[in-house]
Amino acid sequence: MARHPSEASLALFAGGELGPFRKWRIERHVAACADCGREVSEFSALRSEIAAADGTPELDWKRMAGELRANIRLGLEAGACIEKEVFPIRFSPWTLAACASLVLLVAAILLERPAPRVADAKPQEAAVLEASGMGIQIKEGEQALMLLNPRARGVSVNYSAGGSAMRARYVDPDTHYVTINDVYVQ
Amino acid sequence: MFMCNSRVTGSISAGVAAVFLFANAPLPAQETPFDLHNSISIDIPSDSPIVQAGTKTGESPPRATPRGGAMVVDLHMGLSFRNVSGKPIRGVTLLVTAQEVTPGGKASVAVPSLDIAPGQVFPIRIDLRLLRPLQMGSGPLVHVSVDGVLFDNFEFYGPDRLNSRRSMTAWEMEAERDRRYFKTVLSSAGPEGLRREMLDSLNRQSERPRIDVRVSRGRATTAAAAPEVAQFAFLKLPDSPVEPMDGWAEIAGNEARAPHIQVRNRSPRSVRYVEIGWIVKDREGHEFLAGSVPAADSDMLLPPGQTGRVLQDTALRFSRNAGEPVAIASMTGFVSQVEFSDGKVWVPNRPREDARLLRLLAPSPEEQRLVDIYRNKGIGALIEELKKF
Repeated sequence: MARHPSEASLALFAGGELGPFRKWRIERHVAACADCGREVSEFSALRSEIAAADGTPELDWKRMAGELRANIRLGLEAGACIEKEVFPIRFSPWTLAACASLVLLVAAILLERPAPRVADAKPQEAAVLEASGMGIQIKEGEQALMLLNPRARGVSVNYSAGGSAMRARYVDPDTHYVTINDVYVQ
Repeated sequence: MFMCNSRVTGSISAGVAAVFLFANAPLPAQETPFDLHNSISIDIPSDSPIVQAGTKTGESPPRATPRGGAMVVDLHMGLSFRNVSGKPIRGVTLLVTAQEVTPGGKASVAVPSLDIAPGQVFPIRIDLRLLRPLQMGSGPLVHVSVDGVLFDNFEFYGPDRLNSRRSMTAWEMEAERDRRYFKTVLSSAGPEGLRREMLDSLNRQSERPRIDVRVSRGRATTAAAAPEVAQFAFLKLPDSPVEPMDGWAEIAGNEARAPHIQVRNRSPRSVRYVEIGWIVKDREGHEFLAGSVPAADSDMLLPPGQTGRVLQDTALRFSRNAGEPVAIASMTGFVSQVEFSDGKVWVPNRPREDARLLRLLAPSPEEQRLVDIYRNKGIGALIEELKKF
């Protein structure tokens, strides 16, 4: 097997951010290397988790600016109309303040009108257990707890699933003890 | 590197030491300062046979990196413990929980195949990553506690919330079995025979077929194919106290759900736990060990001669090469572990004669450790290690 690509290259590959030649080279490597394949899927999963967790709704700023301008104009025209025709007397400062507050209130409602945050609207996903080249994790919706095996990779790590648990077993190169990590879902 | 040498009992926090370390570590620009104070709590009861002797964060300081609307927290802890009991320790299991991050889940870090004399200090590493929202409550993120300690005479200490007693007993029995086997090889075929065994084990580990498995509870899945019921075939192990009779699972494409297996206790003792190893064959004819089907704890107490069921309400989804689904063609089961009502555990003999099992099964933790000693220190060190037991 050729030398493994760096983590940074695998991350860029997972995000589709490599040039055609490097993409081709890493694509070939990943097709033949299970470890790097796992890392790529890990990075892809993390990207989608982060995208989902961000939850900022898309705003049409141009449209909102137009609506805001139109409402302010409408408020001013209404004020002018009232001053000329309906009330022969001049507005008191209190009335002017109330009108300005109304315009501000409308503007505020328009600005805050976007749909509820995506994270609030999404139903909570059931917990799942997964293994990757980096370790094993329990994932619930956008949150995760992962036990890493950072210094033991490839064939030296044994993964297994049993009932409601996922297991990774390896010899820690620092302590030389066998380490058995488990994650459990209830 | 910081090392706390004071003897610690009761509830302690590793956060203080970690904060001290972290405050002196340079931070890359995108990483925000992460207050570890009170972020990790390590709870060791006053009657525990092990006490914490120190905390190291290793070469990677704790990090909290904001990514989008989430925070990725990396914690690398080298905990060290002292055996304050009067007996040698063979295994330790630590329970790791992050209730605010995964309320429905927990984790454990176990270290079997130990030989820790009274008074000796030994390390256990915990490397974990949390993915959590940016805004969360205060208080410890991670709790670490002792779930179990196994001694060389198979006595056990601990709350055993994760059934660590059974797991560590089985690992220790496998360890005794494998050490016995390698000692026999050494006495009958000499160091060269032992070397061959080690090389064979290394080859098997590198050639062992691997598969990615994803586990979810319950039956709600997103598999596109309609489920079909598939029967288990069984490997009969002559010395097994429990015999598998019949079994099935729902198969839908690359997903297997809700396995049910009927077993009969053919031993003279009552059985309270059975675990079935689960071999899956794909449509190209490749076989791999998919995992195991453990009996749900409360479901089983099997008197001699009686039959019972091993079942799990889980779904396993198989893939390889970064997500390519592996369609399931057939399944085979074999009894991989039995616990009797008196707490004794049965494990299979080394599958020397069964080439199929030998190829598919992972080595025991002890075999993995002995092979690691051979690979790093040579045959002489391995022989010395075998002489210790």
